[in-house]
Amino acid sequence: MEGRPLDTEDDRLVERARQGDVHAYGALVQRYQDLAYRTAYLVTGAAADAEDAAQEGFVKAYYALARFRAGAPFRPWLLAIVANEARNRRRSARRQGDLAVRVAEDRPSGDAAPSPEVAALAGERRRTLLAAVNRLPAADREMLACRYFLELSEAEAAATLGCRRGTVKSRTSRALTRLRAVLAEQGDGHTLSVTIEGGGE
Amino acid sequence: MTGRDLERALADLGAHLEHPATPPIAEAVAARLADAPVGSPGAGKAAGAGEAARAGRGRRGSARPFPRPRWQRLALAGLAVVVLAAAVLAASPATREAAARLLGLRGVRIVIGAPGPTGTTGTGSELYLGEPATLAEARQRVRFPVVVPTEPGFERPDAVYVDPGVPADGRVDLVYRPRPGLPAAPGTGVGLLVTQFRASVDEGFLKKMQFGGGGLEVVTVNGQPGYWFATEHGFSYLDRNGNEVPETSRLAGSTLLWERGDLTLRLEGQVSREEALRIAGSVR
Repeated sequence: MEGRPLDTEDDRLVERARQGDVHAYGALVQRYQDLAYRTAYLVTGAAADAEDAAQEGFVKAYYALARFRAGAPFRPWLLAIVANEARNRRRSARRQGDLAVRVAEDRPSGDAAPSPEVAALAGERRRTLLAAVNRLPAADREMLACRYFLELSEAEAAATLGCRRGTVKSRTSRALTRLRAVLAEQGDGHTLSVTIEGGGE
Repeated sequence: MTGRDLERALADLGAHLEHPATPPIAEAVAARLADAPVGSPGAGKAAGAGEAARAGRGRRGSARPFPRPRWQRLALAGLAVVVLAAAVLAASPATREAAARLLGLRGVRIVIGAPGPTGTTGTGSELYLGEPATLAEARQRVRFPVVVPTEPGFERPDAVYVDPGVPADGRVDLVYRPRPGLPAAPGTGVGLLVTQFRASVDEGFLKKMQFGGGGLEVVTVNGQPGYWFATEHGFSYLDRNGNEVPETSRLAGSTLLWERGDLTLRLEGQVSREEALRIAGSVR
């Protein structure tokens, strides 16, 4: 996933794309396709829908560019359009696909090189937490995904989800409360906290 | 476990989520834009509009060239851009409310011009609805009193959907199945859709309705302003930066838009102007 690119580069590309330079827009698509696809996938949980939503989002954004205010941040605006598309597809599907933990993560890797047992335990605990996330209402999962999986700032999450910053705060806190309740119901609240220490991060 | 622990656990989880590899989106987008009309994105947008919408949804990965513009649409496109430019200029919080009310209702801006590719797609699967709920649940999940038509035959919607977060105070959609006298909107299984939300302009939720000009009529519903659209239209809203966020629209067909107190309501379907006004007037 891309880091936060310099806004000036976005500004330059957006300005050229607004003049009708399709190549400049292509550069913007290249730059943000991973993030857009990831966002769409977190909303839908389905690869095909996510691809559709990301593609459609980029096309719609292109045609709306003429009215994009120069100097405004491109990234959250694009994500808002993509998230909208993804939400439409999730609603058509009548359900959101479950997210999954990478299987490879069960094997020891990286600098920390935890023992296979610790790594397996960490994988198990992540699956437990994710199972709880998957059981949350769609709006809660979306909010948590924006804040913790995509690591968007409050301001960016607000723009992406089309709400105020204050609403991001309150909805995040509500989602965390519900997540805690689901975990308690699963009886995993305690074991989960052990995981993180054993996770070797 | 503490709140901080849970937040850390979520961040850790995010770093370990399974993600399918990103498909070749850039190539697909480039293929779709390659056949776009020459000129600025704005010209292309408004010009390709109606046809693109009617052409329906393409499939993943396939090149879906936008149709060539028609000259008569270009004239409308120019008008749309001018009106929108005015909208953006007026987007400072102080003047936004006044500007929004020049033509439109609280939270809704009406723009004359062809709807874009964001415009009506007219398939049931494209309905932008919230989560299914009962009326009672919907009432609990939004921050305004939910109203329902009292017109006989419309007191009980066949389905209710709620989106508690967008706009901030939430939105409720009442759905009525087609029946004799209430035909399905083209391409959908829906007879009538009644949407309500409370828009506060400084939250940046300025709905925009675009339509091809003509067929717009100013009406009054219980003494409050409203608009009747006889033709199809597109939707989008302005975000907090004053930028337009296109949104897939719900039903093709006629639309009545009106205010009731501080609520904005929209009724869409294949109904006559008189019937729409009767249903709207009966909302309590």
